Amino acid sequence: MKFTLIKDLKQDFLMKPILSGLLIFTLLYLIADVIVKNATIGIFFNDIAYNLFGNEEEFLDPMLQSVFLEFWHIEIFFIMMILLSLSAVYIRLSTMSTINLIILNTTLLSAILSLVSIVLSYFVWDSFLIVYVISFFLWHILSFYMALISLWNLHI
Amino acid sequence: MTEAYTYAVLYFLVFSFLLLLSGILLFEHKIGFSVNGVLDYYLGSEEAFTEKKSSLGILKTILPHFFAFGLFCMVLLHFLVFTKKQKLMQTKALVYLLFFSALLEITTPFLIINGYDFFAYIKLISFFVFQALVIYIAWLLFFSIAYE
Repeated sequence: MKFTLIKDLKQDFLMKPILSGLLIFTLLYLIADVIVKNATIGIFFNDIAYNLFGNEEEFLDPMLQSVFLEFWHIEIFFIMMILLSLSAVYIRLSTMSTINLIILNTTLLSAILSLVSIVLSYFVWDSFLIVYVISFFLWHILSFYMALISLWNLHI
Repeated sequence: MTEAYTYAVLYFLVFSFLLLLSGILLFEHKIGFSVNGVLDYYLGSEEAFTEKKSSLGILKTILPHFFAFGLFCMVLLHFLVFTKKQKLMQTKALVYLLFFSALLEITTPFLIINGYDFFAYIKLISFFVFQALVIYIAWLLFFSIAYE
């Protein structure tokens, strides 16, 4: 086995399909994440508030603290690994212009913001859910864009 | 490109802190930071109406953690290769210590439910050692990015 640095990923016989596979799976993850969130805790303010804090009129209990913490813990791990791998591929396949740097930073910052705001909305103030919803959509849309652009750059 | 990678590593460190924080909150909420808390959680408690954990139950919990801990440690530690400390023996020791503390943290519940109560101490110590090592490695990486 001989380890070498690959200078041009676009022309590499093996790395091209491998990275394509990774990017396609990332796109599928992002779509599935929105669908699953929509069916579980919700993706809009009212749905999330309903599932997180319960509803007295409908005798719905709030989400247990242990369940919420487990959800948060798992979310952090998945998001950090997916965004680290996606950003590494994006950096490698795109020219790092100012706009691309802004996209990269906005994606990662909004993902961190979504994780911080949901925990603040659960423990401190429920209005942080607005920040969560906005940052959730922002990082999903931008990650989707990053994966698509990386795929495009890989194949043109 | 280097600047962009630097950002990616810095954000990874922020995610790592959030992961540690969520782990600490979860541990505190479910188990508690005392030897009795650890023993009650795994061996069951009449006061709390909880049953003793089964081997299969523990295995189901630690199964994803083997993968998650392994991957997290590998990703965090591999950034050390890009620092000036990559060839130091202390850095190598950090690698072994981090994996070893993670292994102890994950596997001690098996020993606790099999009658070795002493491992409740090891569970707590390994948990804190792991957290401290991650913070220290994150600091080394941050220092390397900011000042080297």
